[in-house]
Amino acid sequence: MAPAPEAELVVRPLDGGWGWVVVLGAFISIGFSYALPKAITVFFHEIQEEFTISYSDIAWISSIMLAAMYAGGPVSSLLVTTYGSRPVVILGGVMCWVSMVTASFGNSIIHLYICIGVIGGFGLSFNLNASLTIISKYFLAKRPLANGIAMAGSPVFLCLLAPLNQYLLSNFGWRGSFLILGAMLLNCCVAGSLMRPVTPPRNPSKAVSQKKLEEQTDVYGTSLKRNCMKNFRKFLDFSLFKDRGFVIYLIGSLMFFFGAYAPIVFLTAYAVKQGIEEYSAAYLLSIMGFVDMFARPGTGLLANTKWIRPRVQYFLSFAMVFTGSCHLMCSLGTGYVFLVVYTVLFGIGFGMMFGLIFECLMDLMGSQRFPSAVGLVTIIECCPMLLGPPAAGALVDITGDYKYLFIMCGSVILTGGVFLFVMNMYNYHMLDKERAMKEMGQNHEPKDNHDQENGTMMQLKEGQESGILHSPTVRRCLQSIENAFYISGLKW
Amino acid sequence: MECTWTGNQNKLPNITGYWKKDGNEIDSRLTVPLENEQYNLKGVFDIVGEESLGNYSCVFGSEAKIEFVLAAPQMGEVRDKPIVSYAGDSVVIACKMEEPKPKPSTWHWYKANGTDKALIDAAAEPHRYQIHSEGGKSTLTVRNLTQADAGFYYCGAVYLISTSLGRLEVRVITFLEPLKPFIAIVVEVLVLVAVILLYERKSKKKSITGSQKTKKEKRENSGGEESSSVRQRKV
Repeated sequence: MAPAPEAELVVRPLDGGWGWVVVLGAFISIGFSYALPKAITVFFHEIQEEFTISYSDIAWISSIMLAAMYAGGPVSSLLVTTYGSRPVVILGGVMCWVSMVTASFGNSIIHLYICIGVIGGFGLSFNLNASLTIISKYFLAKRPLANGIAMAGSPVFLCLLAPLNQYLLSNFGWRGSFLILGAMLLNCCVAGSLMRPVTPPRNPSKAVSQKKLEEQTDVYGTSLKRNCMKNFRKFLDFSLFKDRGFVIYLIGSLMFFFGAYAPIVFLTAYAVKQGIEEYSAAYLLSIMGFVDMFARPGTGLLANTKWIRPRVQYFLSFAMVFTGSCHLMCSLGTGYVFLVVYTVLFGIGFGMMFGLIFECLMDLMGSQRFPSAVGLVTIIECCPMLLGPPAAGALVDITGDYKYLFIMCGSVILTGGVFLFVMNMYNYHMLDKERAMKEMGQNHEPKDNHDQENGTMMQLKEGQESGILHSPTVRRCLQSIENAFYISGLKW
Repeated sequence: MECTWTGNQNKLPNITGYWKKDGNEIDSRLTVPLENEQYNLKGVFDIVGEESLGNYSCVFGSEAKIEFVLAAPQMGEVRDKPIVSYAGDSVVIACKMEEPKPKPSTWHWYKANGTDKALIDAAAEPHRYQIHSEGGKSTLTVRNLTQADAGFYYCGAVYLISTSLGRLEVRVITFLEPLKPFIAIVVEVLVLVAVILLYERKSKKKSITGSQKTKKEKRENSGGEESSSVRQRKV
């Protein structure tokens, strides 16, 4: 929730009209960002043969691309806060175009690592970050729905790109395909041009007075140092770690990303090991993608309802618990029908998580702090995301049985979901308390975590005062947690 | 090769047994006795070359037949889709005899010439062809591709008894082919971006002139006689 001091309030979000065109732009941009690293794997076999390298060498391309996409978060946050979303998405599109075109002329695997991995990854990270930010600027009341629709771009584009890449490969070889894919990525620039910047109300008097203040107090040397510190802090806003909601969200999402991708990577192998033939096993992933496509906007729609919206963090923890239980259930059964049921449920869970994950961050941070928050979150999420599949793979190698992979992923995600649920109960309890104190006219509370951009949000929250979550036992538990934090000096 | 048959309801004490190769009888017919409730027929054949390969069957009387197929190891996964490469570039095509099939003694590569196969001699043209064979895997590198290099290539895994062939197709295209869709998409992007930005500028202008008009109208309403002449001029 943004502490949004009154002076920084921007225009009331549009919540419709041109906003839906922006959602379309974000849909395209996010779609390419998530689908490209996976869709490119179609070309790996051919490149592997031409360069005569091993499979693990070529798999690095995907890892580097994903790592760059997530590590580029802070850089793109800085660019978005300085220049707005539109130029950043256009820059991202051009970078991706350059990366694929130069890759098509490559003659060594290192060349591909740099072109596709680094340049392409950074281009995609610019696209991702800027698209999410512009949604938070254009929507508030309908934001969960907008997020759900925009995030649905990922499975849709994956479904489109995979067969398209096969077609391109058999007609043009991998070099020609990269060339054409580069041109297609340039369509991100079209998406970017749709993202009209939201013009804030001009406060010329305030800006002038601020500048004068800076000029008065600074001697040249200290002003340089202060600018450096300010720029570094703009880069990675560590003050976000003081925000209780942010840290809770971060821990939960770290646990999710550790276990999220490993089941997808190993699902086909698991199915084949059970004796299912390869085509049917590959079909499982398509089922998951298809279900995911509908789960994301569906989740957005649900999250937008007046019952769920005020306590959307609980919905996120429910989604995590659901996904975790799904994986645990998978380790219990065998057979193709069982796997299909698991895949469908997994698709629903996965779609719910991704439909909500950025919406919840926006809900916590508000549209002012969201760009820097998402940059910080993505670069931290990089680690578990890259460590998860290899760790799971190592577990499979040691135990020789795939079911331990599902047990591990399921238990990590389930624990994360329960953690989120409990801590969010505490968080909401503290937020209500702080708001009540503020309303009683106490001193300006700097840690007020509400999203104050829209009065309707307050009304929605006020409607949630009754119910099981405020029974005496729960209140006592929450009070003890509060006391524990107070004693430990954590100031939460 | 040895055949064993447990017989049928009438357990005859003797039955005629003989061997067939590719449908033709070989050797003479033998009388097979019933031992331990089964008939045993053993045949010893010398494998001298490719002629020795084929379908062998052992026949018991007119009731039972068992077939053996004697052949060289066949290559498993051979690519059926064509490998696409560019004129002036080089292409690497590979054939593999996977485990646990026995490794061939050597590999040969052929280029299809109509219905014939022409052996590729890498030593004769080292700047164009390079063959690298290692146990169960062999790769052929063709450099400086031209249209004439397109077509079918055969890799042969050479065994003492015969050679197993695998077929691969190579297609050679010029760089212009992917360039055409590339340029088409780039043009489409530029056009769309221009249209979107121009539309935005136009709608901004409209809203600015709209607000200017409302400002003028406000002034006009408070103006009086001057305003009426202004209004007339505007019309």
